[in-house]
Amino acid sequence: MGDVAGPEPGAIGLGLRFIARVVRRYPRETTLSILAALVWMAMVIAGPYLTALVVDRAITEEQPDLLLPLVGLVLLAGVARALGIGGRRYFAFRLSYRAETDLRNRIFEHIQRLAFSFHDRTSTGELMARASTDLSQFRIVLAMLPITVANLALLVAVSTVLIVMDPLLGTVTALAIPALLLVARRYAGQVLSISFEVQQSLADMSTDVEEAVSGIRVVKSYGQEEQEVARVGATADRIFDRAMQLIGQRAIHVPLFEALPAIATGLVLLIGGLRVIDGVLTLGQFVAFTEYMVVLNFPLRITGFFLAELPRASAAAVRIRDLLSTAPEISDPERPEPMPKGRGRLCFEGVSFSYPDGPSVLDGFDLAMEPGKSVALVGPTGSGKSTVAYLLPRFYDPTAGSIRLDGTDIRELALEDLRSAVAVAFEEPFLFSATVRENIAFGAPDATHEQVRLAARLASADAFILDLPDGYDTTVGERGFSLSGGQRQRIALARAVLRDPRVLVLDDAMSSVDATTEQEIRESLATVMEGRTTIIIAHRPATLALADEVVFLDAGRVAAVGPHERLLAEVPRYAEVLAETVGEVV
Amino acid sequence: MYARFGGAEHKVESARGVISRAARESGDLRGKFLLAAGVTTAATLLRLAGPLVVRFGVDEGVTADDRGVVTWSAVAFFVLLSLQYVAGRAALRSVAGVGEQFLRRLRERVFRHMLSLDVGFFGRNKTGVLVSRMTSDVEALTKFVDEGAVQVITSVLMVTGVSVAMFIVDVRMALVILALLPFLLAASLVFRRYADRAYQRVREHIGQVLATVQEGISGVRVVQAYTQQTEQAEDFGQVNEKYYEANLAAARAISTYFPAVDLLRTTGLALILLVGGRRVLDGTLSFGSLFAFMLYLSWFFEPILNLSNVYNLMQAAIAALDKLFGLLDTETDVPAADDPSPMDSTEGRITMEAVRFGYDPAIPVIKRLDLEVAPGERVAVVGETGAGKSTVAKLAVRFHDPDDGRVKLDGVDLRCIDTDDLRQHIVLVPQEGFLFSGSLSDNLRYADPDLDDAALWEVCRQIGIADWVASLEDGIDTEVRERGSRLSSGERQLVALGRALVADPAVIVLDEATSNLDPEKEQAVEVALGTLLEGRTAIVIAHRLATADRADRVVVMADGEVVEVGPPSELVAAGGAYAELHRVWEASANGR
Repeated sequence: MGDVAGPEPGAIGLGLRFIARVVRRYPRETTLSILAALVWMAMVIAGPYLTALVVDRAITEEQPDLLLPLVGLVLLAGVARALGIGGRRYFAFRLSYRAETDLRNRIFEHIQRLAFSFHDRTSTGELMARASTDLSQFRIVLAMLPITVANLALLVAVSTVLIVMDPLLGTVTALAIPALLLVARRYAGQVLSISFEVQQSLADMSTDVEEAVSGIRVVKSYGQEEQEVARVGATADRIFDRAMQLIGQRAIHVPLFEALPAIATGLVLLIGGLRVIDGVLTLGQFVAFTEYMVVLNFPLRITGFFLAELPRASAAAVRIRDLLSTAPEISDPERPEPMPKGRGRLCFEGVSFSYPDGPSVLDGFDLAMEPGKSVALVGPTGSGKSTVAYLLPRFYDPTAGSIRLDGTDIRELALEDLRSAVAVAFEEPFLFSATVRENIAFGAPDATHEQVRLAARLASADAFILDLPDGYDTTVGERGFSLSGGQRQRIALARAVLRDPRVLVLDDAMSSVDATTEQEIRESLATVMEGRTTIIIAHRPATLALADEVVFLDAGRVAAVGPHERLLAEVPRYAEVLAETVGEVV
Repeated sequence: MYARFGGAEHKVESARGVISRAARESGDLRGKFLLAAGVTTAATLLRLAGPLVVRFGVDEGVTADDRGVVTWSAVAFFVLLSLQYVAGRAALRSVAGVGEQFLRRLRERVFRHMLSLDVGFFGRNKTGVLVSRMTSDVEALTKFVDEGAVQVITSVLMVTGVSVAMFIVDVRMALVILALLPFLLAASLVFRRYADRAYQRVREHIGQVLATVQEGISGVRVVQAYTQQTEQAEDFGQVNEKYYEANLAAARAISTYFPAVDLLRTTGLALILLVGGRRVLDGTLSFGSLFAFMLYLSWFFEPILNLSNVYNLMQAAIAALDKLFGLLDTETDVPAADDPSPMDSTEGRITMEAVRFGYDPAIPVIKRLDLEVAPGERVAVVGETGAGKSTVAKLAVRFHDPDDGRVKLDGVDLRCIDTDDLRQHIVLVPQEGFLFSGSLSDNLRYADPDLDDAALWEVCRQIGIADWVASLEDGIDTEVRERGSRLSSGERQLVALGRALVADPAVIVLDEATSNLDPEKEQAVEVALGTLLEGRTAIVIAHRLATADRADRVVVMADGEVVEVGPPSELVAAGGAYAELHRVWEASANGR
């Protein structure tokens, strides 16, 4: 669903330019489909003319010998027409699907490159809408482009033919063209605005159901199923009302699409019939007029539909263009420094950071770490502990100050180099819908099974993984086997360990692991931490004890540094902050 | 073919089975539907009459040089046209209207049924899938009802009507056109088989594309942390390319079928001109009849093309309807009592007798549980992950029924108590406070929407949130947003406790949060919890030492069985399993 914005008038030009730019990338498909469409169009015009020829030359003038060759011509035109239809459809589909697929790849690639800050302020639903509804909106117009070019040519040509054949009757019947176009546009406009409301109500419906399903334990605990049914029922009523409105519009307009060409047929019968009697018009021309009216019916409807879709598609195109032209806020430096040799010497100098229009989180944070050392960051909620973890791999850049890794400013390094040297295990780990093995080997796809298992063992995950239905080949994630929070954290930990980084950051990475398991992990972590620089963010004193030193953060700067015991004894505020979380276990 | 839906085997029905079931279950709408079908038939008949009038005008007027007949038949044609429009409008409105009413009811029925299912069902099925039953599946039906249903009826009627009309006008000519029918049917059958497969693949692949995009977005931070952007994009490119190929295969089918049908139509025209033309020359066929046949020809092919166009819609609608029926056929694991014993009040005694339970009965999670909780007593259940603690909570509120043994309230088996009564007396409070979007007041009043303001504020005071609520800009009417995302985790918890206090049950089953909450509110939550549990029977699934220590009795579980029961202080002193847990907890808390 996402957010489907209504058409914005100013954007049409921009959107059309973007559409044109995309179309130019597929010259072969575009040319072939338009050519085929023009062949089809030519045959559409030729058809009734040839029929008239049969009626006039063979039947009215009573020349039976001409019947077979002329009908053969009709059939030949029919073959060309069929080829035109096939080619037009196939190449138009190809153009539109190719363009859609390529654009979706570009969107996906681009989304992957945009920095954390972009993703913080953009909802998943919105980005999904770019890659699904906006793209299909865009595709529909591309698919219709060749036929529309041909249709417009057709409308002009047929009106000309009709007017040349009989100026009076031609003008009268040609009037059906603008009339139908107008009705079609009006109808499409009405449908658009109502279906926009339907989309909104559907989004509400999806939220209602999603909430009731996620909160099912609450619903059931209080026996409030009927209250939820009433809530959804009200939304369903809104959808029903809109749907009935839509049906009303359809009922008014769709029969008109059939009636308008029929009115022209009636006029042909009346005016044309009288003019045949007067000898102004031949019987064959009379037949041709009727045929043309039938022929025009379909192109007219399609063109009306196209005109109505265009504003919506260009609005979608503008949204896609905007996304693609958003520059990543964090990217490789122009000339990256080579990765310095070293084992993870870290130096934070006067680092300050604040989220856009948020209060300052870090304010002159200084910290120097020797290679292979470990520190635990402790601080009250909002003291900037996690921010330190995010700045190091350049998920965000500090607003002031600098961070050096083995002597080089991290902004001078290629992101790939920096991030393979720094691994972060997050508090809320994300698992992909893939096997456990693939999830652990996410950052090191070439790792052997033995290496994966070793990493899992170090994170105390091996045992529970072996208990899963398919062991390491069990699919997990949104579309797979559900794991507990602690199990997910352990897989994420294994993932970070397998990267074999110079600097390991554990951002509350064991908060959901139960106490007994954590003790196990602590023991193996000691091995992992050997020889690399480690930053641990945690609440539990036992975890803090893993670190050589505790860095106590308060209000965005370092308030105290030292071993846990000493801080506990000497810094009252430290004891206070820790006390808030003591007693919380499992 | 069998599709597994939420643990229940659901046979995928044939299209005919699904349609006839829909017809059976449409109740009083059936009459309305028949009426709508009648109107549609009338509209189609009116359309068919048009060429007859034109033929008369041409034969008796144009070729007979009679201006009067031309004029009058044109007038008659216009009158017919107006009637056609009115009838066409009524037909569309009535058919689609009946369909929408059917869907409106279906939606509510499906949702009500979904909510009546046991909690286990919701665990087995992904939220997204359940939401799609209520949204995209019903939408597929709506699309068919709005755009397809009338087309199908009209098209079938048109083809039949045109055939009949052709026979009335001229039998031999009619046979000439009908000779094309076998070819048309053959082409349509081939197309149908090919298109079915193609669209099936398109549907599968679009699902994968969307799921991959979704995952690429939700997991973008991990992707960047491990610099796997290129690999991710490559993987996605492959999924995306498969979708393209599936689409192209469908496009190929369409791009072959439609021109083929068009060529058949031209062949028909050629045949009419050839055979009809000769007969006009022979004098055995009037020119008007020839003319009428040319009109009928396009009316014969147009509905067939329309049917092909709505075919995809129809397939999608039948597939959706089948899924919805599958959901409606899923039965709850905790059926309501046949003859429930009313229970207006309770003293709140919970008894578990020889309870055995497994989500998969072959693998028991609770091997044997005997426990009696006296009215007003507070019992904490502790144990390591996987010991079966949370399952005890679910059994106590009858989210599941035991495979063996009984769970009783005041000595009455929960299975025999009226569901509404049961929910009134026993409430489960998951401590991760789940809130619904809406205001604070809506959430607090959840169990009792009619609660008056004074009583509501009294609850706020008791739970200790009155000052906080009053300090908010919109006070008690503050919107909490989806899942209460505007509030902190501690605030959400407090509101959830207030909600439980409003329900005022005799028994509370509390499943304590496993993750850490904001420390600022931790103290407040403790106090509120004390207020809520005061004077009630409570079963607390404890994850914290402090919570367990405050209970009257502690039940230690391991591997689905009770290993120790007793007052916490005695258990610590006894040096058993609870003492060991205590030791691990304290070690963790003190950094040793």
